[in-house]
Amino acid sequence: MSVRLAGLEFASPVLAASGTWEFGLRFADVSNQLGGIVTKGITLEPRAGNPPPRIAECPGGIINSVGLENPGLATFVGHFLPRIGRLRCRVIVNVAGSRPGEYAELVERLAHPRVDAFELNVSCPNVREGGTAFGASPAAVERITRLCRRRTKKPLIVKLTANFVDPAETARAAEAGGADAVTVLNTLFGLALGPEGRPFLGGRTGGVSGPCLKPFALYCVDRVAPAIGIPVVACGGVMNGADAADFLSAGARLVQVGSASLADPQAPGRVARELATFCRARRLRDWDDLVGRTRREN
Amino acid sequence: MRPVAYPVLARRRLCPDVFLIELDAPGLAQRVKPGQFLNIRVGDGPDPLLRRPLSVCDADEGRVRLAFRVVGRGTALLARTRTGDRLDVLGPLGRPAPAPRNRNVLLVGGGIGIAPLLFTARRLATGNRVHAVLGARTREQLILRREFRALGTKPILTTDDGSLGFPGPVIEPAADAAAKLDRPLVFTCGPKPMLRALVRRLDPVPVWGFIEERMGCGTGICYCCALPRKGGGWVRFCADGPVVLLNEVAW
Repeated sequence: MSVRLAGLEFASPVLAASGTWEFGLRFADVSNQLGGIVTKGITLEPRAGNPPPRIAECPGGIINSVGLENPGLATFVGHFLPRIGRLRCRVIVNVAGSRPGEYAELVERLAHPRVDAFELNVSCPNVREGGTAFGASPAAVERITRLCRRRTKKPLIVKLTANFVDPAETARAAEAGGADAVTVLNTLFGLALGPEGRPFLGGRTGGVSGPCLKPFALYCVDRVAPAIGIPVVACGGVMNGADAADFLSAGARLVQVGSASLADPQAPGRVARELATFCRARRLRDWDDLVGRTRREN
Repeated sequence: MRPVAYPVLARRRLCPDVFLIELDAPGLAQRVKPGQFLNIRVGDGPDPLLRRPLSVCDADEGRVRLAFRVVGRGTALLARTRTGDRLDVLGPLGRPAPAPRNRNVLLVGGGIGIAPLLFTARRLATGNRVHAVLGARTREQLILRREFRALGTKPILTTDDGSLGFPGPVIEPAADAAAKLDRPLVFTCGPKPMLRALVRRLDPVPVWGFIEERMGCGTGICYCCALPRKGGGWVRFCADGPVVLLNEVAW
């Protein structure tokens, strides 16, 4: 039972979320179990990321401040992209810029046949320039999306934040800019303190993810989906098939598995299997029977 | 790479805050190499979310032993493990430590850092000359002494409070031992200040450190563990380590 989004067919609605499965190469053998992978965020130049420690735990979740460490576009294209051809699922490349024009340059230079779509990261909470500052501004979201739209025909998925902004507003801005879908949502700002009351993370603050985020993420999907005419890709604390089904019910067409992969790298495949079982048990013939049923009459 | 649940054969207390868990894991015992670690799920649900990385303290005859100090909520939960439970294990993870032949090997362990060196001593005992300097805060916390002796290693012991062996840290006895050895290969595990002091004191002798710090995934995908590398960049010690050449770390 496959699902379509922006003209692409996905073998399952379940994707591995950006930053939690690297480039998928460590688990290429099980990549056929999921619909696709969203790569670690790529920037034009290599980024060293934030100083350690980069991760803390909170009840039911984690707070990370990786800070977009990545090898940069040239190494990604030269070293990783050829190997990504081995993956047996859709490949969505997450791109991040510190200026709007950088997003457009990234998508243009990633015009590679194995790149199926882009996820525009306008929502990283761990960088000084861009990131969540773009994502909190509907005007910036629309502009970045439009600049990218002019430079690529591949589907554009805009990854939104809810840090001090209504994601329904930025989702409408993304749609106006020509996005094919939006991802709801990136991590929420968080602060972890050490025993002396000082910030624990090397980047001072971080982004909260994991199952503790799920109720809020579900609320956001339920809020954003009816506000726009393009599909929603959900992300936020999915640990199992029932969680994934909740997000589809709330109106998402695809669903990403993120932090769960840190505890078990097989999580995306397992969630995909559990979701399929969930649907079979309820005799659902099509994903459309599930998607959006939260707001359906009767 | 899939998690496997192994039966717990025994759980015992090595000292007030250090526990040893023995797993019935024949395949794993054969496969795992010194320096590698296992990522252990604690609790039944999604909280705590992350696994706890534990180095292998010993492995032989189908059994894998893990020793850990209770430092927080996760390890406290793990300490409640009982015989007959099953432990959800991902691993072995990380790159094995170098496996020398016909060399003078010096193991320098501090506190709970003594644990992974026992397995290293066992595997390197044949074909090398293994020496060890083991230290802890007190006599009580100087764990696994008998096990080291059973391997034929006569460890030099140190305690911070002088209750056993040399009084003071492991650094000077380790430096003395290294000075007496021809081209020593040093493996060490212990608290960060000890590793830092040791590599500085032994310079330019290469010192391989077993890094036991907080990790995210343990599999190299999350980029959350990072040691600064001299000359820039990071050592991702879950995937590139956890055994790293400390001479290359910029602490």
